Order: sequence, then C-alpha cells, then structure tokens
Amino acid sequence: MSTSNGTLAVRTKDVWKIYPQEPNPVKAVRGVSLEIESGDFVAMAGPSGSGKTTVLNLLGGLTRPTEGSIWIGGDEITSMPDKALARLRLERIGFVFQAYNLLPVLSAMENAEFTLLLRGVPASERHKRVRALFDEMGLEGLEDRFPGKLSGGQQQRVAVARAVVGEPALVLADEPTANLDSVASSALLDIMERLNREHGTTFVFSTHDPRVMARARRLITLVDGEISTDVRQNHETSGA
Amino acid sequence: MRFRILFKLAARSVGRNARRSALTAAAMVLGLALLIFSRSLAEGAHEQWVTSAVRMGSGHVAIQEPSYLVSGKLEHRIGAKAYQRALNAVAAVAGDRVVAHAPRLTVTGLASSASSALPVRVEGVDPDGERIFSDLDEKVVDGRYLQPDDRLHAYIGVELARRLGLKVGNRFVLTAQSASGDVEGQLVRVAGIFKTAIPEMDEGLIHIPIETAREWLGTPGAITTHAVLLKSSRDTDGVVEELQDRLAGDSDLRVLGWREASPELDSALRMDDYGDYVFHSILFAIVALAIMNAVMMSVLGRRREFGVLQALGLTGAETGWVVFGEGLFLTVASGAVGMALGFLFTWVFFRDGLDFSGIAESESAWASAGGIVDPVIVPIFHSSQVLLSLYFTLIIGTLASIYPAMRASKLDVAEAMKFDQ
Repeated sequence: MSTSNGTLAVRTKDVWKIYPQEPNPVKAVRGVSLEIESGDFVAMAGPSGSGKTTVLNLLGGLTRPTEGSIWIGGDEITSMPDKALARLRLERIGFVFQAYNLLPVLSAMENAEFTLLLRGVPASERHKRVRALFDEMGLEGLEDRFPGKLSGGQQQRVAVARAVVGEPALVLADEPTANLDSVASSALLDIMERLNREHGTTFVFSTHDPRVMARARRLITLVDGEISTDVRQNHETSGA
Repeated sequence: MRFRILFKLAARSVGRNARRSALTAAAMVLGLALLIFSRSLAEGAHEQWVTSAVRMGSGHVAIQEPSYLVSGKLEHRIGAKAYQRALNAVAAVAGDRVVAHAPRLTVTGLASSASSALPVRVEGVDPDGERIFSDLDEKVVDGRYLQPDDRLHAYIGVELARRLGLKVGNRFVLTAQSASGDVEGQLVRVAGIFKTAIPEMDEGLIHIPIETAREWLGTPGAITTHAVLLKSSRDTDGVVEELQDRLAGDSDLRVLGWREASPELDSALRMDDYGDYVFHSILFAIVALAIMNAVMMSVLGRRREFGVLQALGLTGAETGWVVFGEGLFLTVASGAVGMALGFLFTWVFFRDGLDFSGIAESESAWASAGGIVDPVIVPIFHSSQVLLSLYFTLIIGTLASIYPAMRASKLDVAEAMKFDQ
C-alpha cells in the first residue's frame, strides 16, 4: 500500500556534482533529475562509487551541486544561505547514517531528543515523544545508556529515532542496514516501514542490501553517477 | 545562537574524553604551575636583592638635600635643624612599616697607608643605629664592628685592607674635602675588616663613627642621607608619599624611594625582569602551541562528529562555538588546577628556600648593583603576580582555541561524514 500523497517531497533538475581533481575532475553525479512524492519509500541502489551517497548528501543540503537545482518540499535549496539550510535540515530532514553517528557524549535519550532540543521543544514534550518512539522501537530502558554501551542494532534504532522524532517530511538514510545482521536489519526495516506508513514520512535510502531493495516501493539504480533504472516495485517503470 | 546547548555539548565532551582533556590540561597546568613557581622565586630573589642593597645603601626611602643625589657633594648636606624635621617626619609614619632608620654622613676621599693610597667612600654612621639597619656588622672577618664609644676607629672592606696592607689595629689616614672647601686629613685605626662579596663595597667602603666624620669634615650635627628601612619593599611608594606629604613645604629636604636613590639597582632589577618576561613569553608560547595542538588534534579527530552536528541542524558557527567552549572549559579548569599546583608545589617543597649555592662559583656571583642575593632564595607570592599569570594563561588558552574553532566552523560536512573515526 502506497502512502504517497501526490505532493513532491524532493525534486532535482539536471544535478551535477563534480569534484575538481587533477588531472581529471571526478563527475560523481551526472545530470540527475528525479521527483520523489511525499510519503514514498525509495531505495537508491548501485555499485560502490555510483554516486548514491553523493545524491543523498545533495538532497540533504550537506553539499551543494556544481550545476542544477534541488527543491525540498517546494523550497529551492541550491542557493539557500548556510544558516537557512541548517534550519531546513533541522526542521524538515532526518538523517540516518551507515555508521550510526550518535554523539558519543550524549545518552541514548539525549541523542534522540537532540534535534528537538535544538528546536527549543520543552523538556517534558521532548521526553514524551522520545519515550513513545523508544517504546515503539524496542529501546525502552536504554534511555540513559551512552552509545558505547549499545549494540549496533540498538544504536541504529536510536539513530532512526533521532531522525524521525522531529517528524521531518523527509528521512535520508545512507546504507542504514550495512552494519547490521539480518535480524537487526529486518527489525529496522519494519520500524521504518511502520513510521512511513503511520506518519507519512518520506524515506530515501541508499543501499546495497537486497532485502532493503525488495521492500522499497520505488527502486532507483545509479551507475556512474547517472540514473540507470527507476522502478516502481509494483512493476511500474518511469525510465531513466 | 543556542549557547546553553552548545556549552553543554562542550562540557560533556571535555568530561567524556578524559584522556584527551587530561593531556591538553596537563600542558596548561604545568605551564601555569611553572610560571607561578618561577614568578614567586623571582619575587623572592628580587626582594632579597633589594633588601640587601637598601640595607647596605640608602634604605628603601632616603631623605636628602634636594641636590645631593646628583652632586654627591658635602655642600649639599642636611643641617641639624632640617635633620630634626626629617627625624620627626619618619617617627610619625603610620603603622609598623618602618623597621629602622639611620643617619649617614657620606663623603668620597682617599685612604692612605704606608704602602698605598686608594679612593674610598667614607660613611659616618651611628654604630648602634647601623647595627639594626644594616647587616654589615655581621660580615666581619677580623676584629669587630664599630661601637658607640669609638672615636677614631674604622671598619673597612677586606679587599681595601689587602690593597692598603692593613690589619686590625693598624692606622691609616683618610683625606677628603671638608665643608670649608679645604682638604682635611683624619687618622683612624682599623677596628674591624668585613667581607660582603660585593666588590665595590669590599674594595672601597669605610665606616667611621658619625661624630668623628662631623668633626673631621666640619659639619656639626649634619648628615647627607637619612636612610629608612621598611618592612617590605612594596611599602616604599606609600611611605615615600606619606613623607613627601609631611615634608611638602620643606625646601631643604627631598624624599626618594630606592628606585630613585639607587638607579643602578632599579636598572639591574628591570633587566632581570626583562629576562623573566622573555622566559615567560617562551613558556606562554609553548603552552599556547600545546593547547592549540591538542584542541586542533581533537577537532581533526572528530570531524565526523562535527559533521553530524551540522547535518542535524547546527550551523557552522555553532559548531565552532562547541569547539571554542571545549577550549574555554579546559582553560578555566586547567587554570584553577595549575594555580593550586603551583602554590602547593612551591609551598611544600620550597617554603624554606631553594638553595642555588651549588651552581655559583663564588659568593660574588650573587652580587650586583650594590646588593647581594642569598643563594638560598625563598619564594614570595604576590597575589597580583599570581592573578596576572592566571589572566595571561586564560587569554592564551582562549586565543589558542580560536583557530581550531574556526576550522570546525568551516568544515565541509559531506567530506567530514566520510571521515573514518
């Protein structure tokens, strides 16, 4: 069942990312144009070096394109000032990283509530929302543990909680299951699917994992920085 | 700017990365502790030096005729009435800052024996008063110091005695220009010989009773300097000011602090201070580089962490503030510990003094500018110096954190996220 609602969460138009490098500049992303509807559950696949992570970084405003334009929920971010871009990331985008990237100096609860803290949400509200998510994700009782005392699967679930606790319109996940075993991967995908289904959050993954690809409703394949295939898992294909 | 959150992150980071924080703090702690120890030792040496010089010279405070400092001539002496006014003013100085005061009638002349004649500085002194004021009586190597009922006795330096071929009991002649302008001679007998290790004193200073000097030079009741010894050299400015106020309308008298009365000592101390400042500047530079290196390494080693902070919504500037805050926390904590350690180290190990006698070839190596520093230097703490050291350390720590903070603020987030921690 698709939860896409017809409005666009992401749009890119002829986006290029070229890293100046002697003697030959590296063209990491070559003219990528795509539209992702709100509430979609999209996987980007492709071999190493195909540009998956770079595309996610571009969509998240972590790096700026060499050419082309990117819109997040209707706002063009390519020329957005750094401060406004930081604000947009804080309020509208959640990130999940392959290496979890929890802040080592904060507890699980503090990591998960970090974006709410930055947004000035009162402590009682923050704790309520994080506890609800922790219960939902099987993290209850781990609130006060620091990242070093959590398993990989637990850390990644905390990272997902951190990404979705602020109810962003878009969650960008860079190989979220790469460091997890099959059980933890499956559990994490269940959680993300449920969040997508119940909260309408748009998820965009980069992945090598066939299980993630299989569960995505849309599978985009990148090769050498270009979109090679773009497939609806209900077998609807929109072409490259 | 969300300073509360940023500083919370900074404080947590300092606390959670204990080994890194400890290494960074160690540089500052050692630097500040060394600074406090070194300053307190320098202060102790200076105080000894000043005390020695003023006790053998014209005191912390000298009262003279206004032209005497420049001319050094007997014609610019203080008469009996003006001397009494000076005595009254000194007696009225508030508190217990004045330890002793003594009159001096000083003249330059010639000392002649059967074998030689040498230029000398003859000081007419009050033997009782001088015993309290100066420690020259303790430097006797043969014979004795002057006594109140001595008339034609002299107390001379060991080198002068050697050059003139004099021993205790020998007689010799002093010659100088008297108040009348004539050259007058005075026969005296060696009562004692002293050794100070200060060459200019051992070679050219003679003490005789002040009454003998007055009769010889035709200056009844006169003095050239009334020397005042204080409890601490730090009291000098206050006492000078007070005496200047009390003697404001007296055109026959001028009140001088030791820096003015002994410019050579002042210059020597300033030179020594300059050397200290150079040493401390090098120390500060080393501490600053150590802090900058440690904070910088911490930034470079945590690029991914700072990248995550920015990915989650912190601005570059806010990330820089986190790093700056870490430097600030380390600086404040290290400053406090360093200060305590500096005090403790100096107090526990060196409160009775640090003995440097093993590193000097002779006693005279410790003598300079009319004073001598005891090879056993007792450190002295002055709160102003300690606060200044702390203040500079805090500034250095703060400045050293700026560059790493700027680097963190200008981080390329996407590149930082690739960084393998």
